[in-house]
Amino acid sequence: MKVSLKDLMTMAKPAAELRLKALCKIWEAKPINCFQCMRCTSGCTSLKLLELKPHEIVDLVKFGFIDELLASDIIWTCATCLKCKERCPQKASPYDLIMALRNVTVEQEAKVPEFYMNTVSQILETGLMQNVQKITTRTMEPLDREKLGLPKIALAGNKFKECLMKALGGA
Amino acid sequence: MHVAVFWGCRILTEHYAYEMSVREVMPRLGVDLVDLKSTTCCGDPIKSVSDFAVTFLSARILAEAGKTGLTDLLVPCNRCHLTLSETKYRLDRDVETLEKVEALLGEEGLKYPDELRIWHTIDLLHDAVNLKEIAEKVKIPLDGFKLATHPGCQIIRPSEIGRADESEMPKKLDELVKALGAETVDYSEKLDCCGAALLATHQETALSLAGTKIKALLGYDVEGLVVSCPECHLMYDARQEAASTAVGGKLKLPVFYYTQLLGVALGVEHKTLGLDLNQSPVRELLQKKLGK
Repeated sequence: MKVSLKDLMTMAKPAAELRLKALCKIWEAKPINCFQCMRCTSGCTSLKLLELKPHEIVDLVKFGFIDELLASDIIWTCATCLKCKERCPQKASPYDLIMALRNVTVEQEAKVPEFYMNTVSQILETGLMQNVQKITTRTMEPLDREKLGLPKIALAGNKFKECLMKALGGA
Repeated sequence: MHVAVFWGCRILTEHYAYEMSVREVMPRLGVDLVDLKSTTCCGDPIKSVSDFAVTFLSARILAEAGKTGLTDLLVPCNRCHLTLSETKYRLDRDVETLEKVEALLGEEGLKYPDELRIWHTIDLLHDAVNLKEIAEKVKIPLDGFKLATHPGCQIIRPSEIGRADESEMPKKLDELVKALGAETVDYSEKLDCCGAALLATHQETALSLAGTKIKALLGYDVEGLVVSCPECHLMYDARQEAASTAVGGKLKLPVFYYTQLLGVALGVEHKTLGLDLNQSPVRELLQKKLGK
């Protein structure tokens, strides 16, 4: 059975503080202006996967029902195709809201898919999101940057790590 | 024209064919590339973690680009292009955040640049080099190739921050392909996402998104797909077999970076365009159509 927005709201209490926290993280978009036209939902790449549709996510946040979103996989299912942001007539941008909710989840130390935190560690360590990969051609010949005639990667100095740490802490 | 270039992690550490082909074709069209002195992540992969850290990371790249003394920056990866454009749009308007970012950049001796234009491969070739110049340099026309293009999501949306092409009717990549002599097919799934952003957390869905599109394309009798983003290329090329399995079919579709096809048409040796690195049957198509 599909859980409706109404069902969730009868069970939950609004969380005013978290709501404000999420909304304050968004720079220019205004989820509060959403009038439920559902243009975001009609173009959503991840629609099939979602328990709650983009316009419902916006509505939940407007009313302050944030705990349900932070604890679920829903906010981690966005494919970041940006159609919702592009097509929203109200500049409500579910995309920006979902990214803000993810940031709040990290701050609350709630469950975050491993991939994201691992990537942070990797960038702190090397400056790049992943190590240089060895690859093979279709005939299984192993190759790397040097063999392909590509120049060495110029990495950042130690100071970079320090600055990124500060930025992660909100500087 | 001298242009600073920021490749981004994905291209530098894995998608070598894109880097190779861009390095081969740009100087032949009068674009000299200047690599940044130091390169770090644009911030895109950690958007979910910290908005401010992303702004700092991408501002850092913009500052490195400014350090070259050039006012044009090429960003061939769609996701890096979006993140840098988002940050530039914001910092050009949000003084408070700019001050915070500048204080951090100062610690590394960097400065946010006053003037910088961010280009993607597609608009640089289409608008700065231009179609006529490209068509004139073609030595081996791709006559008889029936191709489709996949512009990808991040270089066409959101339009308010200024993107490389139109959001609902992108046409630059098609026009660039046509300039090489090939035919392109318009198709209703053109704006569908490749699913790459879900690969790490929702693998099956990501693969079925890619597979569904490949299946649709084969239904239009398309002989090859042209992309301009390392992530889209990963989904349609290296993950093609897995994507086929996800939608229950045995699909085979050659997938090229635009710059690889451009290189072929300009007469560049196939090996230096990284064509051996594509996992989809690109060589078979070139063999069939061009005899080499």
